[in-house]
Amino acid sequence: MGLIYALNGLYFAAFLFLTSLGLSIILGVMGILNLAHGSLYAIGGFIAAYFIGMMTGSSTILMLVTAAASAMVLSGLVGLVIETTLIKPLYKRPLEYQLLITFGILMLIEDLIKLVFGGESRYASAPFDAMGSVQIMGHTYPAYFLFVMLITAVAGMIIWWVMAKTKLGIMLRAIEMDRDMAQAMGIPMRRLTVTAFVLGAALAGLAGALVVPTTPAVMGMGMDVLIMAFIVVVIGGLGSLKGALVGSLLVGLTRSFTVAYFAELEMPLLFLIAVVILVIKPEGLFGQK
Amino acid sequence: MAEKTNRRQFLKMAGAAGLGAGAVSLMGSKALAAGKSIPKTPVKVAAISFLSGPAAGPFGIPGDNGYKMMADIYNKQGGILGRKIDLISLDEAGGAKTQVELARKLILEDKVDVILGYISSGDCKAVMPLSDELGGLMLAYDCGTHVLMEGKKSPYKTPKYDLGFRTSAHLGQDNIALALAIKKYMPDVKKIAGINQDYAWGRDSWHIFELAIKKLLPNVEIVKTLWPKIFTTDYTAHISALQGSGAQIIHSSMWGGDAVTFLKQAKASGLFNQAKMALSRGEPYPQELGAEFPEGQFICCAGAHYFLYPAWDKWPLNKWFVDEFKKRYKKYPTYPSYHAFQAITAYKTAVEKASSLVGGWPTIEQTAKAMGNMGFETPSGYCVIDKDHNAREDCLVGISKMTKDYPFPILDPDRLMVFPSFQVNAPAGISTEDWIGSWKS
Repeated sequence: MGLIYALNGLYFAAFLFLTSLGLSIILGVMGILNLAHGSLYAIGGFIAAYFIGMMTGSSTILMLVTAAASAMVLSGLVGLVIETTLIKPLYKRPLEYQLLITFGILMLIEDLIKLVFGGESRYASAPFDAMGSVQIMGHTYPAYFLFVMLITAVAGMIIWWVMAKTKLGIMLRAIEMDRDMAQAMGIPMRRLTVTAFVLGAALAGLAGALVVPTTPAVMGMGMDVLIMAFIVVVIGGLGSLKGALVGSLLVGLTRSFTVAYFAELEMPLLFLIAVVILVIKPEGLFGQK
Repeated sequence: MAEKTNRRQFLKMAGAAGLGAGAVSLMGSKALAAGKSIPKTPVKVAAISFLSGPAAGPFGIPGDNGYKMMADIYNKQGGILGRKIDLISLDEAGGAKTQVELARKLILEDKVDVILGYISSGDCKAVMPLSDELGGLMLAYDCGTHVLMEGKKSPYKTPKYDLGFRTSAHLGQDNIALALAIKKYMPDVKKIAGINQDYAWGRDSWHIFELAIKKLLPNVEIVKTLWPKIFTTDYTAHISALQGSGAQIIHSSMWGGDAVTFLKQAKASGLFNQAKMALSRGEPYPQELGAEFPEGQFICCAGAHYFLYPAWDKWPLNKWFVDEFKKRYKKYPTYPSYHAFQAITAYKTAVEKASSLVGGWPTIEQTAKAMGNMGFETPSGYCVIDKDHNAREDCLVGISKMTKDYPFPILDPDRLMVFPSFQVNAPAGISTEDWIGSWKS
């Protein structure tokens, strides 16, 4: 069973990586602790569930591409609107303002989702069902989970390439390292912070879109995912792609093997790891001081 | 034509139900003053369910739909003693503190005649004491905790609340019925595991199931107990752990999206090739999952609430309820809708029963006295509210089976197990744990 436990851990890590990456980018580049990240993830989930439901009978790939693209676009657009209207005035305010406003946005979006989609759960499992299962060394394993791992790996590589190799990425990293110096160097701060926020929001939407074939889109789904994403960010470090990856792997694999052997310790152990990291290295494993 | 006949039968049954129940000397001779008037204003009925959040889809909205449908039907029949029902649907979201504040406002400011409410056991436990404290009639309609109406030590004084009632049976009967069904169909089972959400509902459900199964099958070994946090989206780690445990039966009280997510992921991971689920409140999920719901699983119906049981030819009220619900909401009713029927009908029945004894519109206290030790017809059979103010019902357990008649598995008609209420409910005044403890192995 060891291989399956490891695969389970990797799948959960992939899910965490996608959900925490956007949060980490926004926090790192903009210094905004965005509690509304969970609701952007929920928007992605509900939009994807809507399109998958509408496309019953279509090919699985077409369904998934449409769902993921529409979720990223809409979450990104909502991100654009909230950044330019509600987040913008916060940059020079203390942290507690950010927490209050972004939490308010989270509640507002929850109600908007309810208004648009109704309060009922939305099921969109057609891609999960259609992909079925594969046999891995005598064990049955859902093929969709392997697909999510693949997409996450591709998304991670694209983000890494953008951050490491493109002018946009270099400027974003410059802002992350030293905002004042970046501004003095003539980096277009406003345009780039909006870009970072929209990118983070779109990644949250993608995570929501990829998760709904495995679990229904429900009211409140955004709140739940925030907690795990924060654990990853705390462990990995703010704004660090490498940190999000290592944090996700650490949490995913720890959880899988803990459930198998010491089930009662599933959540306490994860929180304990986060606490230990906070005490020993408050900036996270790969975060900057 | 058949529908009209059934509807007439229902009206006859509903009207007669109050008169057919229990003791009638409860009001005392002084209360039998005739000539009291009945107000012309509507009866204010607050119906509280989750209308948002994860519990809205599987429970709150089906429950609320049940209330709306029955209020509409009763109003078309003339309401309660001629008074129209003014149904006030409210959201249960916000936690126990919010619900306590809301209940206070409903009783003291809005002066509602009755509160029918609550899916969350935590909300029920927090709000129910207000019934006696503030003098408001309160009917818990769906929450499942067995401790709501029970005392800590047996025998305990009944009723716990003079003005508080529960109009559906609690989790004790679900889990006892499951254990009995397992004993019947898998008496040689050796290894059992549990996966339940990590909060009071999951813990209590497993606690009662474990007590019951160990009494009924003392040689069973509990090989794994898992407690995923509520609203988990990924159960792969838990599923692998269950596979590794070698369990033949896996007990679960999971609900809503959690149940759906777990079942789907478990099926895709091959869990059902080696183990069967025993779902203490699994009745809604075959309809939710469709053909993806695995066959051969034990399903309990939170009472005997099932759209195909009691059989329509033997109990037309069920067919009438199912037809009416499907016509309005395009789905078969699930147990929360049946629970809503029971709550609003219990109130109507008690008011009519009390009125027949005291004349005019009864007071809250008179209505409460009429409701204690009262029985009434429901689409699921006969429901009795005992002297502990807790409902007693039969309990149905079935095994899922795909047929050509429905796009989802139904409960195999050849393997339905109906346990009479006395077999799955502790007697009034004895706690469920003490009652199970008194069984002979």
